Amino acid sequence: MLSPPFRRLLVANRGEIAIRILRTCREMGIEAVAVYSDADVDAPHVTESDHAERIGPAAPASSYLDIGALLAAAHRSGAQAIHPGYGFLAENAAFAHAVEEAGLIFVGPPSATLAKLGDKLAARRAAADAGVPVVPGTLLPLTDDPGAAAERLALEVGFPALLKAAAGGGGRGMRRVERAEEVATALIDASREAGAAFGDGTIYAERLLTPARHVEVQVLGDRHGGLAVLGERDCSVQRRHQKLLEESPSPAVDETIRDALFDAARRVVGTVGFHSAATAEFLLDDQGHHYFLEMNTRLQVEHGVTELVTGLDLVAWQIRIAAGERLGPEVVDCRPRGHAIQARLYAEDPYRDFAPAPGTIGAWEMPDGPGVRVDPGVRAGTALPAEYDPLLAKLLVVAADRPAAIARLRRALDETLIGGVQTDLPFFRWLVDQPGFGAGHYDTGLIPTLWGGGQPPSADELRLAAAVAVAARGAGAARPANVDSRDHDGWATQARREAVERSAR
Amino acid sequence: MSTPEVSVDGAVVEPADGWTFAWVDRGAGIARLSRDGASLRVLVEGSGEDWIVTLGGRRIGLRVRTWRERALEEVEAAIGHPHGPLEVRASLPGLVVGVPVEVGAAVEAGEPLVTLEAMKMQNLVRAPRAGRVSLVTVRPGQVVAAGAVLITLE
Repeated sequence: MLSPPFRRLLVANRGEIAIRILRTCREMGIEAVAVYSDADVDAPHVTESDHAERIGPAAPASSYLDIGALLAAAHRSGAQAIHPGYGFLAENAAFAHAVEEAGLIFVGPPSATLAKLGDKLAARRAAADAGVPVVPGTLLPLTDDPGAAAERLALEVGFPALLKAAAGGGGRGMRRVERAEEVATALIDASREAGAAFGDGTIYAERLLTPARHVEVQVLGDRHGGLAVLGERDCSVQRRHQKLLEESPSPAVDETIRDALFDAARRVVGTVGFHSAATAEFLLDDQGHHYFLEMNTRLQVEHGVTELVTGLDLVAWQIRIAAGERLGPEVVDCRPRGHAIQARLYAEDPYRDFAPAPGTIGAWEMPDGPGVRVDPGVRAGTALPAEYDPLLAKLLVVAADRPAAIARLRRALDETLIGGVQTDLPFFRWLVDQPGFGAGHYDTGLIPTLWGGGQPPSADELRLAAAVAVAARGAGAARPANVDSRDHDGWATQARREAVERSAR
Repeated sequence: MSTPEVSVDGAVVEPADGWTFAWVDRGAGIARLSRDGASLRVLVEGSGEDWIVTLGGRRIGLRVRTWRERALEEVEAAIGHPHGPLEVRASLPGLVVGVPVEVGAAVEAGEPLVTLEAMKMQNLVRAPRAGRVSLVTVRPGQVVAAGAVLITLE
């Protein structure tokens, strides 16, 4: 690239995705400005940034979700553009609008597009109007009258059904209902949860398709009508309707299905004025039929999988598109190669229904070597703030084909050592040895049906662990429960601490 | 000399035999186990009785207790049952080096009853509860086996 499109860009996010964006900014010669809450003074995304601005207390509503604080930080730091990452304000039309009004560039779609897509029910209707099959269900919100809702569900949707938040995402405001009698309670719960999470308790219903796979199509669009479809990702390994592992290409998608999915994705994207990165999500049933779920006009957590098979930097392209560049032939005519898989390393206990496992990171040894990429959000000594997502790092592998990618993932998992907190790593280590997964035959029911709660440790494992513990005790003191956070940049940290103290007065 | 006892969730686990243990990075808790040419990396964190060993990403909590700690625990357990005569036993084999109480003495919980020496270390056997010494079965210079009755309290 000739010259950077922006001199300075503010990353309105934290953790892994903030670091991911900072890295691309560095490569593009853009100064990246990190933001931090009081819980993140020493966080890696702050200590690794060129410049950092405090935005408020730990609670997300007072910091990472505070539009005024973010704009003030952008103003103070002289940033010309804002990248929202994913989550937090990434799909918030009011934020995008405020950024536009402030004369800054929002690295994402126009605020009007976000406003239109923010209502998932409206997006569902638009897709249906564009001739794209949608998951059977309601096209209008369920009324507040639970009795009428139950009747409508039984008539129009059928059971089991899934209640979903029109403003929703990330599994919040979502409830599975098996029978008409369950509708009333589930509707009230889902509506309350959605209202708390998104400020909008509107609920709609879809038939629960099982077995089904979750397959999504990545697109990039420029400001001049250029559009590139960059392959699909299979995201069927889920817990609580949230993805844990993604791969591209999908083992369930052949050329016929792929053509149909890509065509559907183009139609869905065509329903809105759009630029930047977007993902059209579909369910794929066991007959290979696809049903549109929703469209996300932001970077996805799993975007790296597509980067590994296309060789493109999607964050760089978001920034270039924001600056008005056109998609080149290397993007539009891109043919993905090889196979990539991402495992999301969360501080979650897979033996306790993937419940968050808070704590402080002890040992932190990430894998490397051929075909391995790690996008970390923490390091040894990081205390995980209770306020935020427990994603520790994304472990990605790429290889010539799927069996080689699985073998590489197994190797990479075996190289990974994370101390201090339970992670979902043993789940992935189990998964890579499952014959069904190896054959590519799995669906969104994999975790509830095949993993369940996981197996207890075997007698051999316990005996081995016992030998280790006895030997470690005999060999003298090991690491204590916590280690002091490493001070990578003492002066900057001190300055931030002082800023926090000043603001607290 | 007895080996420490290891338990997981209260169940005793017999440690696997024949593994050689070496720290790779003691500060980080990373160690290497090897046996018959095979080796594996493990994570081990903890101190004293409480340990966490991470195998294949799974954290397994273990209690490693020396005979002394087990003895202490038995004593503590006995405190919870202050009924009737209580036989205070040696939880480890050793040499009796001191008996600071006599028959008829009233003792408080935690008061030293017998000093045992083992592995060149002196260990106090304390009263698990308050009571009166009704019988002293050992004298200084005597070698006792694990489980031998030392003192009886009423």
